[in-house]
Amino acid sequence: MQQRIKLAIGALLMGSLSTSAWANAELDALMKDDNQWVMARKDYANQGYSRLSQINKSNVKKLKLAWTFATGVNRGHEGAPLVIGNVMYIHTAFPNNVYALDLDDNQKIMWSYFPKQDPDVQSVLCCDNVNKGLGYGDGKILLQQNNGVLVALEAKTGAKLWDVKVNDPKTGSANTNVPHVFKDKVITGCSGGEFGVRCHISAYSIKDGSLIWRAYSTGADSEVMIGSDFNKENPQYSALSLYEDVNGGNKMGGSFKNLDKAQLKFPEANLGVRTWLKPQQQKDGWQNGGGPTWGWYSYDPKLNLMYYGTGNPGTWNPDVRPGDNKWSMTIFARDLDSGMARWGYQMTPHDEWDYDGMNEIILWEANGKQLASHFDRNGFGYTFDRTNGTLLVAEKMHPFVNWASKIDLKTGIPVKDPKYSTHQDYNAKGVCPSALGVKDEQPAAYSPKNKTFYVPLNHVCMTYEPVESKYVAGQPWVGATLTMFAGPDGVMGGFMAWDGLKGKTQWYNKEKFSAWGGALVTASDLVFYGTLDRWVKALDAKTGKELWRFQVGSGVVGNMITYGHKGKQYVGVLSGIGGWAGVAMNLGLTNDTDGLGAAGGYKELTKYNAAPGGGGMNVFSL
Amino acid sequence: MKHVLTLLAMAGVFALSNQALAYDGQNCKEPGNCWEAKPGYPEKIAGSKYDPKHDPVELNKQEEAIKAMDARNAKRIANAKSSGNFVFDVK
Repeated sequence: MQQRIKLAIGALLMGSLSTSAWANAELDALMKDDNQWVMARKDYANQGYSRLSQINKSNVKKLKLAWTFATGVNRGHEGAPLVIGNVMYIHTAFPNNVYALDLDDNQKIMWSYFPKQDPDVQSVLCCDNVNKGLGYGDGKILLQQNNGVLVALEAKTGAKLWDVKVNDPKTGSANTNVPHVFKDKVITGCSGGEFGVRCHISAYSIKDGSLIWRAYSTGADSEVMIGSDFNKENPQYSALSLYEDVNGGNKMGGSFKNLDKAQLKFPEANLGVRTWLKPQQQKDGWQNGGGPTWGWYSYDPKLNLMYYGTGNPGTWNPDVRPGDNKWSMTIFARDLDSGMARWGYQMTPHDEWDYDGMNEIILWEANGKQLASHFDRNGFGYTFDRTNGTLLVAEKMHPFVNWASKIDLKTGIPVKDPKYSTHQDYNAKGVCPSALGVKDEQPAAYSPKNKTFYVPLNHVCMTYEPVESKYVAGQPWVGATLTMFAGPDGVMGGFMAWDGLKGKTQWYNKEKFSAWGGALVTASDLVFYGTLDRWVKALDAKTGKELWRFQVGSGVVGNMITYGHKGKQYVGVLSGIGGWAGVAMNLGLTNDTDGLGAAGGYKELTKYNAAPGGGGMNVFSL
Repeated sequence: MKHVLTLLAMAGVFALSNQALAYDGQNCKEPGNCWEAKPGYPEKIAGSKYDPKHDPVELNKQEEAIKAMDARNAKRIANAKSSGNFVFDVK
């Protein structure tokens, strides 16, 4: 009898598992339960905020190591584990192993998954063998492997349910992003901005792995999936298709003269094509135009819009790709079901510094407005009306930012300072920030209680010399020589509290190295993050005062999480130095310009870390 | 002497053009299309030192790879639907 009841319940669960409504409702419930950590940044809004408050300002100094887990893998350990019920799911750097640990039984390994990947894929990962983590939905753990394979594993057993190929490393295209589960879809992207990859964002069915839509970052409106109501409230961001299909098009052997509109031809009508002028004898530029999508994505279920940013335009030498290079460096809001873009705002037109626009977009509310904030590599902190893309705030996160004097809020266009422009065969000096930005992948956190953002920062400037380079599919296509060094504060990093409505810093702490670890903020006003010199820290959210620190085995490039188990609050973080800041160290590169310019700037890291960094999970409790 | 004068004249031109023509992103041909050539940048870069000389065969490889991946994925899913078993290897 008992057996039969179990079977009946099982069948019921299986039946409901297969409907998208259930996946949505289950995820919603898990996201609302602060004992869980079910998405990369805890919830759809990417806030990295927990209402757990057992660990507070008065007792945090008693925080102790509860347990650790060595992943058995070296190199950069980005992202964070998921916690669902009594199970913690841990991922690693390449080859992207997955472990399910039983929190009820001394973290015993319940199941593990070891992908078999061709080691060649490592040669197309520009900035270390990192992987930003796992997704969960519909009873499945989703893993986006470095080699472009998206895998669905049964959460209970680790059995593989389906796997599909999203990107082909033979053409330089790979993955380091988290597969984000929004409702019944798995959203994934691509890396390859340093390999001339024309990137995309794609939605797969969580049920069976079938492709639902794919939107490219460059090219014709039909392939960028730009809808008829695109930017309708902010037409200054973009001209819609205005031109008729007339033979000839913008193919004048490379002229930059304004052409008669009648000569333009579809798809040249589209900005994703037309802002890639045609200087070269062959093809146009957008076909290998970059716009990688390797960051964190967010989702608003009420508007049914998902948000993400695109990265740098293909090749770092701006002189070979004249034009605004749309839609690289763009924040997009897309309808989750159709994939059509509702609005898109290009932050850095005609990028000259590799300021990838892929950092997270955090959704929040204030004064009755539905907002989205973003801390870009280019050094500006942006706040938008997320319903329509109207730019409300765009301010420098630190005064050392010099490539632009300001962002014109009306037009949305940065006022570039030609002094810090880059040109082929010219060594531009003192450009701030460096190519790895004022903030790279390390996600910020937002406290709805304090209406404040907590942002881990880099404080690095650079010299930048674009050089000639030839595009060959699957080979690096960077075309620039860089050196990086500490900014005017004399350190490499910082951590700040930021008012997203005023665009102002509330408090700011210097850090010896870049703060490459993702932030966590709790309802007890504690802010947690990790550093490259191996510290895990807790600060007072109101003042920035440090209340606790602990030294882990290797530098932290992962994100802090918190969860509750059997009435006890835990905080945890992956350690294992790497990413762009640590890639030169991990590979033993010592020339200043190695590691895309990071080797020189971060050479002191070897005084704090074994190379290559070893991966481990560190969990703390009172 | 002539050389010096020429150099001076050129320097003057550069100084002028830096002030008047330097690209700051503010002059838009149309909404969302605001790129301008920087001072000294050729009007036509085909054949200049900036010509990327793309090989169309190389440029087409990405599109071909994606088409091939999509076709293999579709076979996997069709097979899973008909057999109930998911098999990654496509023969």
